[in-house]
Amino acid sequence: MEAKVISKQDIKNWLESLAGKYEIIAPVTEDGVTRFRTVQDFSAIDLVPTPAAGSLRAVFTPETETLFEYELSGHAAEVKVSEAAVKDRLIFGARACDAAALKYVDAVYSNVEPVDTLYFNRRERTAIVGLFCSNPSWSCFCTEVGDFLTNPVGMDAYFTDIGDKLHAEALTPKGEELLSAPQFKPASEADAQAVEEVRKKALSRLPKPTDHAAASKSYDWDHPIWARLAEKCLGCGICAYLCPTCHCFDIQDCAMGSKGGRFRCWDTCQFEKFTLMGAGHNPRPSKKERTRQRVFHKFKYSPERYAVLGCVGCGRCIAACPVNIDIRRVLEELESQG
Amino acid sequence: MAETNDMEQGLRAKAKELLESGQVKVVIGYEAGSVPFKCAPLFAETPEEADRLVWNPTCVNNLAVYLPEAVKRGKVAVVLKPCDAGSIVELIKEHQIERDDVIAIVVGCPGVLSLDGLSEMDLGDIRSIEWRGNGIAVTTGAGEVTIPREKAFAGKCLSCQTGEPALADIKIGESPAREPLRDAYISLEEYEKMSPAERRAFWAKQFERCIRCYACRAVCPACYCSECFVDKAAQLWVSKSTDPTANWFFHMARAMHLAGRCIGCGECERVCPVRIQLSLLGKKVHIDVEDMFDYEPGADPEALPVLGSFEAKDPDPCPE
Repeated sequence: MEAKVISKQDIKNWLESLAGKYEIIAPVTEDGVTRFRTVQDFSAIDLVPTPAAGSLRAVFTPETETLFEYELSGHAAEVKVSEAAVKDRLIFGARACDAAALKYVDAVYSNVEPVDTLYFNRRERTAIVGLFCSNPSWSCFCTEVGDFLTNPVGMDAYFTDIGDKLHAEALTPKGEELLSAPQFKPASEADAQAVEEVRKKALSRLPKPTDHAAASKSYDWDHPIWARLAEKCLGCGICAYLCPTCHCFDIQDCAMGSKGGRFRCWDTCQFEKFTLMGAGHNPRPSKKERTRQRVFHKFKYSPERYAVLGCVGCGRCIAACPVNIDIRRVLEELESQG
Repeated sequence: MAETNDMEQGLRAKAKELLESGQVKVVIGYEAGSVPFKCAPLFAETPEEADRLVWNPTCVNNLAVYLPEAVKRGKVAVVLKPCDAGSIVELIKEHQIERDDVIAIVVGCPGVLSLDGLSEMDLGDIRSIEWRGNGIAVTTGAGEVTIPREKAFAGKCLSCQTGEPALADIKIGESPAREPLRDAYISLEEYEKMSPAERRAFWAKQFERCIRCYACRAVCPACYCSECFVDKAAQLWVSKSTDPTANWFFHMARAMHLAGRCIGCGECERVCPVRIQLSLLGKKVHIDVEDMFDYEPGADPEALPVLGSFEAKDPDPCPE
């Protein structure tokens, strides 16, 4: 399908035409925080520069999710297993980093039995329309870890802001279906040229690629940096909770009288109790082991296991870390000779 | 300000002296961050490392949070803003550190940066930030921009009285004397006009976005419990889920745990990734403690913890 354009003024009525079929999820800013939320009022959509504080993680794996509920009566129990998405969903304004992160989590969750049907059901029923980052943030480094900014993965269509309109490319049959709406017109040569300009400008602000996967083969388990990071790291968990590739969760039960249930909630290897065993042993007893784990999991174990790096360079951990632990500097130091 | 540069030099000299003489095992301070508008905590163990110490508007962290762990190494010196010094008072009062474990180096502070004040700038273009006049000067690729304090500084700085710090072994420089721009409790004025139902709705909306990352707890010098109540599983105090009841319980219980202990450093609010107005909650509890018990946390190392002691004059709202 050839490239299209949609006037910014037409976005609202395009989304409105989809609202019957899809639950529309887009970035919304409230009290200075931008997160992906279900929107009914499309004028509330805030396509902030990059990237929203919230990644797409919560859209596919909510912070808390009921797995099943039960009610006892006598010796019988009525169990209600949760279903995932009941409606098709459309994410509008996703970033290339966040979409690429979903492909990574797909790989992680596909690797096991039983299959995470809640997650994959949502994945199948969610279309994703991405938006090119015209104005990368100071903390963005996606081009260092992949080329998905210009060769997007994990999305159905990719839009680029070229002034009074958005340029639109379909990437999947679903994307083609979306772009066949009447609001989309064929893109002109001038439009294609404008996209090139926007791309060039953004890329000039971003770093060159580095093969961290290859470098990780010689990461030093005993490097002095781990003890130094452990000194200042607070173990707060913000890095993991904002990270689009992080996917670990805890499962907890709750019961009150004859009713109860099981839920899962986000968890992180940065918390002390994450690896605490029932008998009291903790293989990652201090922040030294836990900060090392974060770096090794994303940059070494992930490429080894899934042939995909576990970091998409969104930079949220860099921007949010209260003590300025900057993963780019950590990797530089780990990978420097001497 | 040439005077502020002198403070940085004075700080480095003093730190080197403390390390060279063996008086302390480590000096905890600030060093340049990975970008010009942030700093990072520094644990200097040698005079060479002490040369990396900085003192500038980006030095926002309350370094007292590191003390209970750090004093296990031996005697520690720590760089503190006058507001942060109150944290040390509380840690000593609660026997988390001994008075002799720590050398408090209090630096004169014109005010520290709030990144919100730079929101109109291209952060990626910033080269350096320093104090200038009543605010800051930011050098960018395009030149220099001065930003007045009401925009550049953290909220707490605008109501700072710059009085004597509660505790200081060494003082480097003096905080400039200036009129607070606003009352410390100005954010409470609007809040206190709200009815209980309105307050409930206000906090419900704030807590709805809490993702229970616990960054507020991790950055707080008063939150040093080896096992926090939220991490207890055997006796479950609060569900790990992010449902509204659980989030409410976490924040309100934490606010109660901090009653009479929080010195208002504002780090909790600074680090919250979803911008919950935690310092408003802290201030409200603070002012209630002040009204009820005539007690100021962080002021007097000799005072007993307010909720850990009883005086005959304590309010007794129960009717006879």
